[in-house]
Amino acid sequence: MRAKASRLLPVGIAAMLTTLVVVFYYPVGSVLGSAISVGGRLTLDPLVAVLGDPFYTGSAHSLVTAPASLPERFVAWVNAGMPAVDFGLFGFTAYQALLSTVVSVAVGLPGAYLLARFEFPGREFLRSVTILPFVMPSILVAVGFLAMFGRTGVVNDLLATVGLGPVNVVFTLEIVILAHAFYNAPLVTRLVTAAWESVDTRSVETARTLGAPPLRAFRDVTLPQLVPAILTASVLTFIFTFLSFPIVLALGGLQLATVEVWLFARVQNLELVEAATLGAIETALSLGLIYIYLRFEATQISTHGQGQLRSRLPLFDGWQSVSDPRRLGVFLYCLVAAVLFVGPLVSLVVESLTTPNGAFTLDYYAFLLAQQASAAVGTINPLAAIINSLLFGLGALVLALPMGVLVSVVATHEGSGSRFAEALLTAPLAVSGIVLGLGMLRTLVFGTTVFGHRLTVTGPIAIVAAHAIAAYPFVTRNVTPALSGIDDRLVDAARALGADRPTVLVDIELPLIAPALIAGAAFAFAISIGEFDSTVLLAEGVDSATMPVALERYTANRSLGPNLGPATAMGTVLLAVTTGSFILIDRTGRRWER
Amino acid sequence: MTTTDPHSESTNSTAVEITDIGVDFGHVTALESISLSIADGAFFTLVGPSGCGKTTLLRSIAGLETPSHGKVSIGGRDVTTEPPEARNVGIVFQNYSLFPHLSVADNVGYGLQFHDLSGQRDPEARVAELLELVDLPGFGDRTPTELSGGQKQRVALARALAPEPDVLLLDEPLSALDARLRAKLRVQIKTIQRDLGITTVYVTHDQAEALAISDRIAVIQQGQIQQVDTPETVYRQPASRAVAEFMGNNNVFEGSVADDGQHLETEGKLLPLPETHDRAPGTSLTVSIRPESLVVADSQQGDPAVLSATVETVEFLGDAYRVHCRWRDKSVLVTTAATTPPEGTVKLHFDPEDVHLL
Repeated sequence: MRAKASRLLPVGIAAMLTTLVVVFYYPVGSVLGSAISVGGRLTLDPLVAVLGDPFYTGSAHSLVTAPASLPERFVAWVNAGMPAVDFGLFGFTAYQALLSTVVSVAVGLPGAYLLARFEFPGREFLRSVTILPFVMPSILVAVGFLAMFGRTGVVNDLLATVGLGPVNVVFTLEIVILAHAFYNAPLVTRLVTAAWESVDTRSVETARTLGAPPLRAFRDVTLPQLVPAILTASVLTFIFTFLSFPIVLALGGLQLATVEVWLFARVQNLELVEAATLGAIETALSLGLIYIYLRFEATQISTHGQGQLRSRLPLFDGWQSVSDPRRLGVFLYCLVAAVLFVGPLVSLVVESLTTPNGAFTLDYYAFLLAQQASAAVGTINPLAAIINSLLFGLGALVLALPMGVLVSVVATHEGSGSRFAEALLTAPLAVSGIVLGLGMLRTLVFGTTVFGHRLTVTGPIAIVAAHAIAAYPFVTRNVTPALSGIDDRLVDAARALGADRPTVLVDIELPLIAPALIAGAAFAFAISIGEFDSTVLLAEGVDSATMPVALERYTANRSLGPNLGPATAMGTVLLAVTTGSFILIDRTGRRWER
Repeated sequence: MTTTDPHSESTNSTAVEITDIGVDFGHVTALESISLSIADGAFFTLVGPSGCGKTTLLRSIAGLETPSHGKVSIGGRDVTTEPPEARNVGIVFQNYSLFPHLSVADNVGYGLQFHDLSGQRDPEARVAELLELVDLPGFGDRTPTELSGGQKQRVALARALAPEPDVLLLDEPLSALDARLRAKLRVQIKTIQRDLGITTVYVTHDQAEALAISDRIAVIQQGQIQQVDTPETVYRQPASRAVAEFMGNNNVFEGSVADDGQHLETEGKLLPLPETHDRAPGTSLTVSIRPESLVVADSQQGDPAVLSATVETVEFLGDAYRVHCRWRDKSVLVTTAATTPPEGTVKLHFDPEDVHLL
């Protein structure tokens, strides 16, 4: 499949690039274009309007509106004793992303210590669970946090039984950041654990024999080899939380709006030029961050195939071991982690099965099936949403699988293929779902005139395309390692034994990458099922709504009552589908890293 | 450190003394009960098959393994409970284990910050001196990834030697290298060791390497010491059948001492024994004859010191042939420097004095 690639490869690449141009580059380009043009004329007016607006950039707006006054403003600021400066919406978005990153790293690092240095039953399972956030819809996490910390949530129910509360933490920055940590700390844990495990135990031992005490050896030898992974994970977390949308929307609301949430609100108000300008600035920022990320990733020191794994300490080694401060710390961490990670998901399921009075009920699940009867205006039909989700998921899968495999084939090609593939893989990461959705809305759904023909695409097709764009990098990340792991000599050996090229493909290569294909497919399906950002823009009215969109509407819709019942029931269904995908990925795609 | 002839033990002080140490890994016993003394300035090799416990023993000297019982002394000081950083040893591992994030110079100089070397030498000068010693002058600014396997291993050696350790510990340092480089680096290590006079403990599974490089060899099998002696003695007079077989392709014959006391009764034939020995007639006996002690030649009938064997396979080694023969039900190995390979039925002569009693 490498050097002797079939003649079909160029055709496949051409088809894929055409698809990408139509459903990705053109729509996104039109959004970026409207930030620097008005009525077909190039201008910086939209950019100046946004960047010069104190609402968006706070004190930094004068950089654009009155750059000449900057020095004297700076002097005035210093003379005033350097008070806190407000940097507007962009400043706040970066601020909450920074806080989220710090908390995610703080929560994720002890997890890496636990997984890399201790042996205990279930360690392997715990390690594979750290990929769960990748497939878990963030709106689901938001609903889980509402089920736990909301006004009628599990925490307040528990507090009420001892006569305390209620505590109201919804719509605070704290809960947004905690939810971000739920989502991103496992990523930190995963990346740092991998780095920690690749630290050659012999190099630590060498440092010890050269005279370094244990902590010094950690600082001098282990830590420097972890730093690139920690930085990589931090930058990724910053990117994810900078672009975070459903969690902020559901847990923070407009009063804690980030750029992404505000962008969504602009689209809903049909202020499309302002939205596009915001999207362009946001995309530029995230491209810059991704550039930093790729630089960090490249500095990861590879001790591939050389390192000797350090033997792990048993976590529980007789009752005496419990008094060991390291183990005490780990136990304490496990307690915190259980509350943070397990709490919201358990709360979700518990709330879906209990009435506000605490009695057992299946009413919310009945509601999911019987919504047709109570056709409240603007309410999403839950059964239709479930069916939509599954159909779109299948559609996205059918589209994403060949795209992803194609990129893998290109990536494993010698020469410039891997750089080209990297660009193909990174672009969807740099563009937020909202920007893509907005672009598709403006170009494909509202229609484009080509050679005098008005071409339009319906919402569902646009949704499937957007999902496929979001999903194919995950197919590639699964398939590439499997494909590059195939020894060329296997192919040579099979051909020497008399098999022709297509037979080798079917007999040797496909069976070897089949597990990765299945894992990639499960990923693609899960990504599609959970996609919210572009779907919420592209779902026309209520007809094309998916489970995550329905979930958000039920959460926001106060007319459904004070409890989260319908949302948690829908959330539990979504959780079941997600978990199913995860199990499939875990069983088949064990080689999947990063 | 004084340089003395490591062979004459009586004049030497002991550098490393291991007394009755045992190491358990959970329920597995890696080392049973080992005692060893290693002379100052000696090149001492622990050899044995993989999994025999030789690396565990080395790691116990370094303090990287905690013995369940027993004592380790270095330079007369009991270090059994000391952590590795307090033992003043230098270690080199098979896979180099260079610090990947540090330059070559920083790798070599790493240990200097923890040691107060006599003579107040400038650390940079010391690093340069060691890179010179391992034949890598000017390599200080490179990163480990830019080095070849042999260069990495020489940097690892320089790093271990920089703080002037009391003992140099080498754990299969050449096993990751190709044969040609292995032979070259072996000589280099031996030369550096002799020039510095540093006590060295070397672990290898390769008996040929052990014979080539060592002053003394300890053969370890299944967590126990089988024999400790000079390479020559271990090779020529193995202490047991296990040692005889491990130290290279020995021909081992089992039987009993014949009634005349002068022969071994084996495979239904009488083989002559050395003139003087202490075994009583009738006792069971195992002997070994080295392949190079057997000579392929024509012979008179009736000479007892002759095996009439059939050639099965011949390997050409360049300077000799290794001939696999069959004598009765046994396979017998012969090395011969003949210019043409023997074939068919051959007579294998030996001097009864070359028969080694086990």
